[in-house]
Amino acid sequence: MNAADWAVLLGTIVGIAAYGFWRTRHVRSLNTYMRGDAAIGWGTIGLSVMATQASAITFLSIPGQGFESGIGFVQNYFGLPLALIIVCAVFLPMYRRLNVYTAYQFLGQRFDEKTRLLGAGLFLVQRGLAAGVTIYAPAIIISTVLGWRLDLVVVFTGLLVLVYTVTGGSEAVALTHRWHVAVIWAGMVTAMIVLLLRLPAGLGFMGAAHVAGALGKLQAVDFSLDPSRRYTVWTGVFGGLFLSLSYFGTDQSQVQRYIAGPSLRAGRLGLMFNAVLKIPMQFVILVLGAFLFVFYQFVPAPVFFNEAEWRRHAQDGRFRAIEAEHASAVAQSQSAIRGWLEARASDDTAREASARAAMVAASQHSRAVRAEAKAALAAADPRTKTKDSDYVFITFILTQLPHGAVGLLLAVMFSAALSSTASELAALGTTTTIDVWRHLRPLIAADEARNVRVARRFTALWGAVAVTFALFAGFAENLIEAINILGSIFYGVVLGLFLVAFFLRHVGGTAVFLAAVAAEVLVVGMYFSLNIGYLWYNLIGCAACIVLSLALQAALPPRRAG
Amino acid sequence: MTRASRTDERAEAEPPDLPGFRTWRGVYLFVFGWFVLVVVLLTVFTATFS
Repeated sequence: MNAADWAVLLGTIVGIAAYGFWRTRHVRSLNTYMRGDAAIGWGTIGLSVMATQASAITFLSIPGQGFESGIGFVQNYFGLPLALIIVCAVFLPMYRRLNVYTAYQFLGQRFDEKTRLLGAGLFLVQRGLAAGVTIYAPAIIISTVLGWRLDLVVVFTGLLVLVYTVTGGSEAVALTHRWHVAVIWAGMVTAMIVLLLRLPAGLGFMGAAHVAGALGKLQAVDFSLDPSRRYTVWTGVFGGLFLSLSYFGTDQSQVQRYIAGPSLRAGRLGLMFNAVLKIPMQFVILVLGAFLFVFYQFVPAPVFFNEAEWRRHAQDGRFRAIEAEHASAVAQSQSAIRGWLEARASDDTAREASARAAMVAASQHSRAVRAEAKAALAAADPRTKTKDSDYVFITFILTQLPHGAVGLLLAVMFSAALSSTASELAALGTTTTIDVWRHLRPLIAADEARNVRVARRFTALWGAVAVTFALFAGFAENLIEAINILGSIFYGVVLGLFLVAFFLRHVGGTAVFLAAVAAEVLVVGMYFSLNIGYLWYNLIGCAACIVLSLALQAALPPRRAG
Repeated sequence: MTRASRTDERAEAEPPDLPGFRTWRGVYLFVFGWFVLVVVLLTVFTATFS
């Protein structure tokens, strides 16, 4: 990184944080602090919903997924548009009609206080942990590749987001989201353009797509019914529907984004904006990863993309031999790809098939050498994290982008981390204030100034918790999956609570409360004992909560069930 | 019925105010159709490049 990169990076992220702080420094109204500016437009709501969901992990891990496993991960988002339609038609009108600050207030009004506290508690545990991951994920990768101190990156990110989130609450979050999304889009478009320009002469977009496709990286859809496959159309549509419905319908970090605004129309259009754009956006990011795979068939690629980790262990001759074998494998793969491209242009079907088989074999050999490198690392130090796909895109950024653009892409990572963390902290602070603190101190609810002061303190407290968690916890190897797995374990049951509330009017508070606790125990038990795609836990948790609610409502005496 | 709930019911009945759409049901059908189109395009993309 040079001075230009530093200027772009710091100018962008500090500038946006300062703007958010300055514009909202006079916020005194509880409504503005927790719901945002009442005049906010649907476009800002849409961008805010998008920025909340797209964390830095999206832009670090997903290209890595495309590189390593292809673009099938896009199916994970197939349930999202359907879920957003349901949220627009059912959830959002109810939240606005009841004029709630949090989704869990609705549970309190529909059932009772213990069910409201259960919903809020599940959210606080799940989202509180996730906020730590949201800060840690980009920090560990950026600090590793740039040689920065991890603790300083974590603390810097945490302090920066707290400055404007504590000051301006939801209004500051929405204001800064617009600029963060602008930076993210500008950076990702820049990266894609540079990648296409750096592909070998004559290959072009279509050539790269054909190579990536032939090497199995462009299978976007898989209609297989095998339940052990992680990403299929069915897990995407059904599991993804429940995951998205839980996330957008019941997670306060999203609910707080779209209950803002002057009208129901603004919230609905903001959500529909995301329903239309989300799958194409994720597709483009995954294709970027698949094209990175093609790119690294033509330029010298590291045998292990977390090069700092590799250098730390790769001291003896065995590692040198693996490096040499990898260089040879890449050269063979490159030669085989060129051979296939020539055969393909010749219209000789038999030659094309033979060249294709050779190309696939060369690619598999290259992959086997990388697996050998990971095994060697694990043998040298069993604690080594051997999954390096999260480091692919950042390696490309640092080695291939021109100065200035490197700073912009790092600003993308920080903007994404700041925007999603800001929503999480604002939601955690709001939920703790409204659903827990005001529950314990009901007489103070009318004191608006004190409510805002308390909300600021809780937001700061959750920021401190997230930063502490990020500093001292170790996380799963694949960061985006870690968050999705965590979400899937909790979200299904929370969604079950809300679906019972909306659609099963005869079920009372005690029945649904006991059912939710039992369903959560069931999901956790299944997670530790079965090997099925984690998206199914959304469906299982939700279904268990609903079925058990109905059974308990029928079994319990009327007074207890209600 | 409170003034707030009357206001919100009016808001629910409020049209989307988008060119070509008179009701929210129309907007939802459009988004669902867009989703189906995207899945079809991704299937074609898979068949073309795999």
